[in-house]
Amino acid sequence: MQDNILIEMKGVQKWYGGYQALRDVNLTVRKGEKIVLCGPSGSGKSTLIRCINRLEAIQQGSIVVNGHRLDDSIKAIDVVRQDVGMVFQSFNLFPHMTVLQNCMLAPIRARRIGKSEAEAIARKYLERVRIGDQAEKYPAQLSGGQQQRVAIARALCMQPKVMLFDEPTSALDPEMVKEVLDTMIGLANDGMTMICVTHEMGFARQVADRVIFMAEGQIIEEGAPDAFFRNPQHARTRQFLGEILAHH
Amino acid sequence: MAPHFGLPEFGFLLRGLQWTMLLTLVAFVGGCTAGLAVALLRTCGHKGVEWITRIYIGIFQGTPLLLQLFVVYYGLALTGLKLDAFVAVAIGFTVNASAFLGEIWRGAIQAVPRGQTEAAMALGLHHSSRMRDIVLPQAIRISLPATIGYLVQLIKGTSLAAIVGFIELARAGQIVSNQTFQPLLVFGVVGAMYFILCWPLSWWGSRMEARLALASQR
Repeated sequence: MQDNILIEMKGVQKWYGGYQALRDVNLTVRKGEKIVLCGPSGSGKSTLIRCINRLEAIQQGSIVVNGHRLDDSIKAIDVVRQDVGMVFQSFNLFPHMTVLQNCMLAPIRARRIGKSEAEAIARKYLERVRIGDQAEKYPAQLSGGQQQRVAIARALCMQPKVMLFDEPTSALDPEMVKEVLDTMIGLANDGMTMICVTHEMGFARQVADRVIFMAEGQIIEEGAPDAFFRNPQHARTRQFLGEILAHH
Repeated sequence: MAPHFGLPEFGFLLRGLQWTMLLTLVAFVGGCTAGLAVALLRTCGHKGVEWITRIYIGIFQGTPLLLQLFVVYYGLALTGLKLDAFVAVAIGFTVNASAFLGEIWRGAIQAVPRGQTEAAMALGLHHSSRMRDIVLPQAIRISLPATIGYLVQLIKGTSLAAIVGFIELARAGQIVSNQTFQPLLVFGVVGAMYFILCWPLSWWGSRMEARLALASQR
């Protein structure tokens, strides 16, 4: 059982100056688990996942990823980032490189594998997100949905153990949301461990093993999607769900 | 009787032009190399190093170039290091250019969206790869119009080298003008030479700027 734990956060506290962004966050993620993080803006959900790959430093508590304790050492950060892939709201593709080069760079530089092998891996994952025919194009030549799928493929090329999604569909036009969600559903069905910050409650219902609700830097409530949506325990959760479900 | 402005005088100006171009080239290439180091140190994330680089930039931006040339030429001579006029001004201009280009590129590096660095970090790329593969290629693009603008300033600025006795284009013009008593004609030719050198660069720079503005709209 212990072996199956991929991420373990214990008593995590984070401040931005005098502002506390995370308050005593405890979270355990098992291998293959799909977790959806939701909550109002400023509730700390993005900050939480950004701590997992050390884009943000924490001031108290501990984070262990795949058995490696994350501290301030470059070595520890390195090891953890090799295991953790991330997809951003604003895609963050490298605009001066083609789609293929975007996907090949990290395996070559960080995993030190050969060019031809890196290209084979890149093409495999671009195929998997159904964008193989756009490999020679530059990001600016693609639609938002296509760019986000490339970003997913780029992260997969590092063959991570867990994927973090930071509001991956929030910057997309409505007609492109589905293609990105479908890609993520495919990934989930293949058994990838995922933590998704998203407001897509349909996606949460369909793939999440657990839905976690955050407010003011704290985990307020968590549960299986069915129970979470049907019978939320806290007033704060009910209010939030009422607000976002009213839009859908 | 004073000689008229003729072929020999024109040839003398051309040699001055050659020295101006050579000095510009040396200062620009040297300044780019050292300026890149300055820009990288200025943005390396280490507070102490960034602070020292900031002072370096501040000193060379905050004092007259003329003064800096004096220090290199006469100041070093006092310590027993007697430099050839060209070597002295080349050093002076190179160091000065490194500060200005360093500051231009510092701004360009910081203008590359934060998300680019974050994506690179999330992919496990180290600082050197993040800089070389992600940040610098984009920063150079961003900085190109300002860099070309600085090059134009540098070409014209090399006329200051005359102050320590180095005969570049402006000084050559002064000499010819004194000999021929035809200042209007001589300085007209000198001005035209500077213009031919600088104008295409300025034009290229503003075209770059327009293209970049267009690209950022997409």
